[in-house]
Amino acid sequence: MAMRQTPLTCSGHTRPVVDLAFSGITPFGYFLISACKDGKPMLRQGDTGDWIGTFLGHKGAVWGATLNTDATKAATAAADFTAKVWDAVSGDEVLTLAHKHIVKTVNFTKDSNFLLTAGNDKLLRIYDLSSPEAAPQEIAGHTSAIKKALWCNDDKQILSAADDKTIRLWDRSSTEVVKTLTFETSVSSMEYVADGEILVITYGKTIAFYDALSLDLIKTVEAPAPINSASLHPDKDFFVAGGEDFKLYKFDYSTKEELESYKGHFGPVHCVRFSPDGELYASGSEDGTLRLWQTAVGKTYGLWKCVLPEDLGTENSEPLYNSPPEIKA
Amino acid sequence: MAAPVSVLRLPKGPDPNSRGFDPKSPRFIALCRTSISMSAASEADPEEQQREQHARTTLRERFLHCLLAMTNKKVQFHMYEKVKVEATFGASDIDMLHFQVSDLHTPIGVQKEALIRCHDVISLTFDA
Repeated sequence: MAMRQTPLTCSGHTRPVVDLAFSGITPFGYFLISACKDGKPMLRQGDTGDWIGTFLGHKGAVWGATLNTDATKAATAAADFTAKVWDAVSGDEVLTLAHKHIVKTVNFTKDSNFLLTAGNDKLLRIYDLSSPEAAPQEIAGHTSAIKKALWCNDDKQILSAADDKTIRLWDRSSTEVVKTLTFETSVSSMEYVADGEILVITYGKTIAFYDALSLDLIKTVEAPAPINSASLHPDKDFFVAGGEDFKLYKFDYSTKEELESYKGHFGPVHCVRFSPDGELYASGSEDGTLRLWQTAVGKTYGLWKCVLPEDLGTENSEPLYNSPPEIKA
Repeated sequence: MAAPVSVLRLPKGPDPNSRGFDPKSPRFIALCRTSISMSAASEADPEEQQREQHARTTLRERFLHCLLAMTNKKVQFHMYEKVKVEATFGASDIDMLHFQVSDLHTPIGVQKEALIRCHDVISLTFDA
């Protein structure tokens, strides 16, 4: 029989969740970090949503958060004009990088030796984490606050999205702009998929896919409502998007057809990301919650349990398993 | 009507008394150098550990009984920014992050139902 999606609600944040990022797959599973306006980024086990720890130290809203591939380091970008680097195993603060304005985004290189930061002062900064006292390399050019900046092309290039309605591709060594994309409205989010060199961009009600190396348009998809974030499945057969109407939409990547839409959040969705194994995606919302959604609804994975039709009679006698988590929570 | 997917349990939320990063977790032990002495020290006295655990349990039970005693009673909340409000207490979540209240009296009127964030509360008081 058909199964209905049961999102897992991860409690803990008390203000809007504005960014999230998954690590790669490690011997201990994979991990999820969430950035929140409460100033307390949290690390969770990726497949279950279980809380591992809270990174304490920021004195303002945290706008961006990221993990390195093996989840040993975390970085956060905050409204207190600092970016911080953390030991993601012990939770200790490793480094504080002072900026001149609100920091919106952080991104590690693949080898975790450099950190890219950007924010409202319109500058990209590259910090060498092995020489933290050295002045960062700075890249100017954007004419408005930078929303997102990401390493790409094996860390040889940088992609940045800003409120000046442009996305720019930069060469790291020469700090020159390689290419610029211009939009009629501000870009709301950007995701870089290294496997396949695909860039996922959202603006207005549009989800657009570009070749990350040439910035050539692959395709665009229109959603029913303004979209704040989108994420492409690792196998590239579908993508999910969330936005102002509180819903999450699932689209087929090749046909662009809307496959499903899910309610569950009580506020606009700010960010959505697939896990590295593609089995689930996480969404962060204005309602202060982080929710995990199954890619294959009904499959046994993490905390979700496949229940066969003949077992349903037995299971129904167990209220614990059958009542929706929201009611219990 | 499609049946909702069953879940084994809810994800574990934050410990209100700790920032987490359990030194006894396999990942911590494997990846943090200082973990060996820490885990050895904590394992050195299992009796002490058991006493602490029992004390935690007792404190938690008393706290929960206090919350139950507050149910359906008028509670005065002393909030940040010198705000004082009164409401009928309903419930709190397991992580002590929100209080659910009714008939919240605020300077601008009565709110029938509300969620109060515990982070916004300095103290609360009620008559038993």
